[in-house]
Amino acid sequence: MKCLRCGNEDPAYFYKGSKGYYCRKCIRFSRILFEEEPESFDYELSQDCDEYRFDYELTAEQKKASAECLAALNESDVLLYCVCGAGKTEIVIESISSYLRRGLKVAYAIARKEVVIELEKRFAKIFPHARIAAVYGGHHDDLSGDLIVCTCHQLYRYYKSFDLLIIDEVDAFPLKGNETLMNISLSACRGRIIFSTATVDEGLKKVLAKRSYKTVSLFLRPSYEPLSLPQIFYFRQPFSLLCLNRIMSLTANQAIIFVSSRKDCLFYYRIFSRFYSCTYVYSDLENRKQNIEAFPSGQYRFIFSTTVLERGITIRNIDVVIMNSRKIFDAANLVQMLGRVGRGLDSKGNSYIISDHHSPSIDETVKYIRKANSYL
Amino acid sequence: MKCLYCDKEIDTLSLTSLFLKEDELCEKCRKQLNRERKIIEVSGLKIETFYEYDGLFRSMLLQYKECHDEALKGVFLYGIEDYINLRYFGYQLLPVPSTGTKIRQRGFDHLAGIFENVKLPRVKGLMMNREMCQEGKSLSERREIIDNYSYNGVHLNKVLIVDDVVTTGSSLMGVFRTIEPISKKIKVLSLAYKKY
Repeated sequence: MKCLRCGNEDPAYFYKGSKGYYCRKCIRFSRILFEEEPESFDYELSQDCDEYRFDYELTAEQKKASAECLAALNESDVLLYCVCGAGKTEIVIESISSYLRRGLKVAYAIARKEVVIELEKRFAKIFPHARIAAVYGGHHDDLSGDLIVCTCHQLYRYYKSFDLLIIDEVDAFPLKGNETLMNISLSACRGRIIFSTATVDEGLKKVLAKRSYKTVSLFLRPSYEPLSLPQIFYFRQPFSLLCLNRIMSLTANQAIIFVSSRKDCLFYYRIFSRFYSCTYVYSDLENRKQNIEAFPSGQYRFIFSTTVLERGITIRNIDVVIMNSRKIFDAANLVQMLGRVGRGLDSKGNSYIISDHHSPSIDETVKYIRKANSYL
Repeated sequence: MKCLYCDKEIDTLSLTSLFLKEDELCEKCRKQLNRERKIIEVSGLKIETFYEYDGLFRSMLLQYKECHDEALKGVFLYGIEDYINLRYFGYQLLPVPSTGTKIRQRGFDHLAGIFENVKLPRVKGLMMNREMCQEGKSLSERREIIDNYSYNGVHLNKVLIVDDVVTTGSSLMGVFRTIEPISKKIKVLSLAYKKY
């Protein structure tokens, strides 16, 4: 017994309903009966949708990586392994255009809805003649376009529909550790896949082990600035609070302070909002969008955040402080959080980790940053 | 045994499992359903309810109805079935009918599934005059359903009308009005109520 969509073979997840056996492992995406082949989604491409232009010049390294990526796709899948802010999206543009020129279907899948909305605007500028279809929860009435940009959760609507699928941030929630979602995402592709990531974890290694792939890597940001190497402090509470206060009082920049839970977010906010202009954000906060938008506009100097802000946000001249407690953050999280520093041209900032324990993920992160900076 | 909703292993050696039927949900999920018996009044009807249509209950019911996950049919009335059997002894059960299209699409009648283990005799002969789906409709549009039922069966004694979620109460009111002239006593029960 095997579910053709999510690949589940565990008989415990098959339930006999009125229409026969169905898979309960991927039931939240819709019911699929045992050995029922889901329908693929077909759509027409418009003319000249492959034409693209950048408002800026790509660096020589980006151009090289872009050409390597396209060449590698002729033979196998691609692991696009780049540091945060290296311009992964720019690197895959040439490949997208090449596929569209040949009348082949392309999709760009990413974890978060906010990033899909941002990418839709970005792709609309890069591909002026293409119709970009953004598909995410609550926005899936029209599934067709020349280029589909969607969340990974929406890929179940496109079974074996794409000739090129780019899965961005493979190392992030919700794909990380979610085998069902990963298999559904993979089943949306009938051709090649580009796995785009800044860190390669065990889960991704497992997926890649079953496929033939080539690695295209880029450890240089367009600004040629090194990744910020964090200063690490080991303090327990209440000394960690004093340490954080010291950092906040000395910095002239805005800062994102990452904490491990919603509870911590509110705790730190209640203390520090008495002394500093600050706000906070976590995933199910009602006015999350307003708080996120108010921060880059300069309304607040500090923002306390859970992992919500670890990806997809670019603010110039920003510091990052990570309150690493309760072993919540792994190396992928830390790399992404620290990657917020120094994004964009002439952007400066510092990074700090205040930890109450010594963790291997911190060592791994420092090792990763040193390795990336050694390419400079 | 695994929880039907969160897939976590259920501790089957608890003290309650010696006396009660095995629950298909884990303790955590069961707790999050927030079961609380309430009598609410909607459009002049007194309706007995057990959940608020929100949070985990909403997600679970949507998984059952919209994702067609029949495995969940037994979880909603767990611990309530015996109460209904005793409280409404001598009543006939009348589930609010669903549209034929929905039943064909799902392959099962969702209300019949939920109330499968309730041992009350069923009323037959109630039908919808025309297919009307309430999904995505405004409150005023939903009220149109009141006159959309007809009954062609025998006279009824004591009837328990049941539904899954009460929002405007239009479906329940429609069924109530249809059978009121030919019934001696009518009670209304809805699994959940929706605040609006």
